[in-house]
Amino acid sequence: MTQLHDTSKVDREPPIPLSYTKPFWEGTRQKKLLLQFDKRNNKYQFYWRPVSIYDGLGDLEAREAEGTGEIFTFTIATRARPPFQGHEPFGIAVVTLKEGVNIMANVINCASEDLRIGLPVKLCWLPLKNGTYLPAFEPAK
Amino acid sequence: MAFHDSAIIGYAESKIVEKGDRDVCALGGEILGSLIKSTGVEKGAIDGLILSSAMSGAGSVFWSQVVADALGLGLNFCQTVDIGGCSPLGALARATMAIDAGLCENVLCLYADTQASADHRPSRPFRTEWTSALGYLGPPAAFGLLTRRYEHQYGLDYAALGKLAVAQRGHAVLNENACEKLRKAITVDDYINSRMIADPIRLLDCVMVCDGASGLLVTSRKNAERKGFTKAVIPLGYGERTNHRINEAVVDVTDTGHRVAGEAAFKRAGIKPSDIGSFHPYDDFIIAMMLQMEMLGFCKPGQGSAYIRDNDFTHTGSLPLNTGGGQISAGQAGLAGGGTNLIEGVRQLMGDGGKRQVANKKHALVTGIGGIPYGRNWTTSAVMILSSNA
Repeated sequence: MTQLHDTSKVDREPPIPLSYTKPFWEGTRQKKLLLQFDKRNNKYQFYWRPVSIYDGLGDLEAREAEGTGEIFTFTIATRARPPFQGHEPFGIAVVTLKEGVNIMANVINCASEDLRIGLPVKLCWLPLKNGTYLPAFEPAK
Repeated sequence: MAFHDSAIIGYAESKIVEKGDRDVCALGGEILGSLIKSTGVEKGAIDGLILSSAMSGAGSVFWSQVVADALGLGLNFCQTVDIGGCSPLGALARATMAIDAGLCENVLCLYADTQASADHRPSRPFRTEWTSALGYLGPPAAFGLLTRRYEHQYGLDYAALGKLAVAQRGHAVLNENACEKLRKAITVDDYINSRMIADPIRLLDCVMVCDGASGLLVTSRKNAERKGFTKAVIPLGYGERTNHRINEAVVDVTDTGHRVAGEAAFKRAGIKPSDIGSFHPYDDFIIAMMLQMEMLGFCKPGQGSAYIRDNDFTHTGSLPLNTGGGQISAGQAGLAGGGTNLIEGVRQLMGDGGKRQVANKKHALVTGIGGIPYGRNWTTSAVMILSSNA
């Protein structure tokens, strides 16, 4: 079994928010995964944009995701640049959330042999040095 | 109509080098001089300049003006096209439009970049907010995600991908402009056993970033005929699609914009895939070429592996593929890399292929891929169908 690196010790730089993505990163301080919800079309979207991908209009609601989903696809990074260099192998996945959006995140607490498309996963959080958190996923037990 | 009515009357290409010591405008000057000599069109008659954007020029918001000034060009039309690896094809398409609109007569499409020696991208690009903290290595990670999903949906024969890598490498050996480091034959086993970068993406799936330049001189077909250019290449049809399936939150990444752009290009050209004499798909990763075979109608979606096993992609084969080696085996000249396969297509149609000349010199198909978006396959897909005037 090859345990994938959980990347929790990586000294990663917190992302720098844009004016319209600040609410997302602020929400992570309370470990809330906020999606954008378009009430007109009754659909979610991720990542955060200034307008709806469905009709081009603004006025999007921030709604908290339940935090469950399944692996849509994944790759195992066996080579990385600093600050991830030396922490390989680690998993990067696209996760389809229950709300019907895909989100990209690290997969932790998982052996490479167990990582597969369709694997049920649940949300967990990696701390960032500015007090915000980075969403990640682990196998749902 | 812009496409049928324009003509490429000259092409030029520098040697692709691993890391050069020449500035990007020096490479541009080499291309300009080469085109003036080969076509006899004087500098003063060149009144349009369309550039592909460059990693080396990323620090300037006046890029086309800077290059025009360095090359001493007085122009009636001047712009930079910034759709990533699709920019060289996009520049040619826009040249035909500008000529057709009567804005200019002789357009230099110039593709020069020195990403290996001078990468001037800003430290805070717009699109890394959602990926930089994941250890996401950009294109290799994106294609790792894409490849795994494809394999899940359709099954994937990695030896078939290796067959494409081997064919391209054989072509690079015959191409004196290809990066010397890459001009060594490889086997399917070499491909399969090359080290993983972003599993299942291997080293020999990837391009090597280099320095290099190429360019085209484009004019109206009438002008080309009047001036007696007996060897000319006609852009017959073009299609370009950006943000395929943008209004979906969960996207089938095996379906790409080339399906839409290809339909448009073939319809405008009035020909079909079986008419294509040589295929020059954008190759940032080997699997991208297989996906394009599916999207452009050479085979059905999901049938790429079988199609590759059944065909010969060498320059004497059933579908000659990237006969100069492609970017993967000739080296990727930064954002000018999209020009490498385009120039090779033009070269084949003009009958200048030398040791790697293909038999069918009537039609060539060239494509572009530009930009790596979040959770989809790629941002822009471009398809250009070229025809010999012979």
